[in-house]
Amino acid sequence: MANEYILEMKQIEIQFPGVKALDKVDFNLKPGEVHSLLGENGAGKSTLIKCLTGVNHKDAGTIILDGKEITPTSPQDAIDMGISTVFQEINLCPNLTVAENIFAGRQPMKHGQVNWKEINRRAEELMQRFHMDIDVTRPLYVYSTAVQQMVSIARAVDIQAKILILDEPTSSLDDNEVKLLFDVMRELKAEGMGIIFITHFLDQIYQISDRMTILRNGSLVGSYNIDEISKVELVTLMVGKDMNTIFNLKRADVNPDAPYMLTASHIGIKGSVEDVSISLKKGELMGFAGLLGSGRTETAEMLFGVKATETGEIKKSDQSVSFRQPHDAIANKIAFCPEDRKRDGIIGDLTIRENIALALQARRGFMHPISRKEQDELSDKYIKALGIATPDAEKKIGELSGGNQQKVILARWMATDPDVLILDEPTRGIDVGAKAEIQRLMLEMCKDGQSVIFISSELDEIIRCSNRIEIMRDRKKVAEVNGEGCTQQQILNIIAEGASAAEEVNA
Amino acid sequence: MSKKKFNLSDITKSKIFWAVVAELLILLVCLIKRPDFFKISYQPATGMLYGSLIDIINRSAEITIIALGMTLVIALGGTDLSVGALVAVAGAIALKFMRWDVLVYNTPGDYTVKPFALAILVPLFVCVLMGMFNGFLIGVGNIQPIIATLVLMVCGRGVAQIVTNGKQFTTQYSPFRVIGQGHFLALPMPIIITILVIIIMYIFVRKTAFGTFVESVGINRSASRLAGIDATKVIIIVYAITGLLSAISGLIYSSRIMSNDSNNAGLNYEMDAILAVVIGGTNMNGGKFSLAGTVIGSIIIRTIVTFVYYFGIVSEATMAFKALIIAVVIVLQSEPVRNYFSKKFAKNNAVVKGA
Repeated sequence: MANEYILEMKQIEIQFPGVKALDKVDFNLKPGEVHSLLGENGAGKSTLIKCLTGVNHKDAGTIILDGKEITPTSPQDAIDMGISTVFQEINLCPNLTVAENIFAGRQPMKHGQVNWKEINRRAEELMQRFHMDIDVTRPLYVYSTAVQQMVSIARAVDIQAKILILDEPTSSLDDNEVKLLFDVMRELKAEGMGIIFITHFLDQIYQISDRMTILRNGSLVGSYNIDEISKVELVTLMVGKDMNTIFNLKRADVNPDAPYMLTASHIGIKGSVEDVSISLKKGELMGFAGLLGSGRTETAEMLFGVKATETGEIKKSDQSVSFRQPHDAIANKIAFCPEDRKRDGIIGDLTIRENIALALQARRGFMHPISRKEQDELSDKYIKALGIATPDAEKKIGELSGGNQQKVILARWMATDPDVLILDEPTRGIDVGAKAEIQRLMLEMCKDGQSVIFISSELDEIIRCSNRIEIMRDRKKVAEVNGEGCTQQQILNIIAEGASAAEEVNA
Repeated sequence: MSKKKFNLSDITKSKIFWAVVAELLILLVCLIKRPDFFKISYQPATGMLYGSLIDIINRSAEITIIALGMTLVIALGGTDLSVGALVAVAGAIALKFMRWDVLVYNTPGDYTVKPFALAILVPLFVCVLMGMFNGFLIGVGNIQPIIATLVLMVCGRGVAQIVTNGKQFTTQYSPFRVIGQGHFLALPMPIIITILVIIIMYIFVRKTAFGTFVESVGINRSASRLAGIDATKVIIIVYAITGLLSAISGLIYSSRIMSNDSNNAGLNYEMDAILAVVIGGTNMNGGKFSLAGTVIGSIIIRTIVTFVYYFGIVSEATMAFKALIIAVVIVLQSEPVRNYFSKKFAKNNAVVKGA
């Protein structure tokens, strides 16, 4: 058995404060194969990689490399054992030359001095092996991202690696560059190296991988050969059938004659999301489905002025508007709960009361303060209405649980009485009860004539609540389907196959 | 537990408490050494109160005023190194309007530009602009505050030199003397000005939502922007306020010496102001701030200086001695020490309750 696998990770468990990041995960890698590691964000991919590269330490389980049990304690330790990693962000020194970058920290020496001739000669050889005919004595920053990516792979490979981990190496590359990278990967594979490949692009997985392992919520879903599983099955496995809790929620009815609250025609930002058009009616709940990185968040950010649109037009109640910053959108009664609650949502050291009053106060301007009494009434009202679990409104929001923080952020926006509320993954990382609560609130707002845009990775949530569902794929909107009578399978088909599947659904 | 109770453990946790304790300790040592230290006397001839305590507060005016602005700057997670240089700029401009060089001009006020208001308003205006420049570099240019304000810290004194052609002007213009040496209600004018500035600042930051905005931006700029706060505007306003306060401080300073001094006016004020804010309990990482704490912090610094003067510590050792006391104050305020005392008091409380 020891000969079949170059790397075996058995029953790996990692416990973070409050959560089990990895729960009895098995992973193995054969020499000479490209093995894709898949799962949504938070599924445990990066934790598994960090465990292998010595960043995080496992609480239980064994790692066997080349027949020997290992316990990497630091990234350098892992490199010494023959585990090389190329991260999504290039971590080289742009001001050093290509050759210096490749040999930094392990320069060949001659008579106690760095042997520059040798360095440059070997660097050139190495780059030529990767079909890169470049001047290795020029600083790294003069070359494109793709070349820089190659250099970091060259460095990783030259360290006599047995295993190469590529963490989202293609996210900043164009098609030709990806092809070049894949050629190099195939050569390395032929030489017997085991490659772990992480990406969000499903097509690329099928182009290059031999096998794949899927994780979900810190647990192993399974390992499969590439030909034994279709794209649709793959997405299903990644997203997962959701919890068994049955919500008695019904989507709100929209009056077919309801006026349009927010319309966007052909909005886009070059290099981010291009040409998205939506039209949201009063009282409607619009779902946004698609994998992470498909452009859902970017679209929401354009509608809220986080990033100004470069093309297209946004209309609020038939009036053309231009949002240069969130303040402009808020003035037009649009609200936005961002995806990253910690980074973009909460003001950790301020109290619940201050956090709730913040957006309303910002819209009023600081010279028109909300009186303490009003603030108290506001926070008491929403603490009750949303069931925020806290002894009083003077507790710091940073001390609340994730679900309660999310409710406070929701309260902040409900307090501004918005016409359009955009929620980006409002239910991620919070427990089932809070999830149901937030969905109930969304639907109630729709009944009150407010419109909601709901972005989520959990399809059953989207289908349950949405009147219409916009489906994003590869930074484009590929389809729009009715929430009524649509199935998870249909949406998965569209996410996996693109617009061609959409025509079948609508037909 | 619905009512707020007088709770020793909570109070000992607060940083201001320890700042007050430190101040009282220093004063106590002063009192033991010199029993007449707290004595305040009224002199009918000048119509003013005299005494060490009055003197401490009077002399702390310049730093207190600047430190109030610095509190907001630090609450934003920044620092403003240019305040000392702006003190020099304000003084230079004021004197430029009032120079009365005895050797050249014979009649007093010969060279005074009328109206006198210009001598006050122009320095204030220029320093506000300079503060806005700082705020622009930081808020729009996204330059680190310590680097951005270094620009004016270095070139501000140069500007002051240019304004006065590198000369030191003096003036005898009596309306100007009032600012630093006059009195009102038997108190020295700098104390009156300081109290006014404290009141106005308090109303501005706590009676409007500006203070909350500053804290919010200082804690999480990205989230504040998404909540609709124009973070750039907040940053520019804060640095402009600090510029304005530096100018007020500069006017007091130059009125005390009735002269401008581009080299020494406001020297090291930035360090004292930052120190006052930190002693006052505002975290250098930004966030929640306390104006009251800053005022106490500034008074502590001045008390230490007075202490050093009164006890005949050799002048060579003055700085080292000052540093020593400050180190003790800051250690007293550090989290481990505060937590230690807070636990101790909590335990005592528990014992009392148990009995």
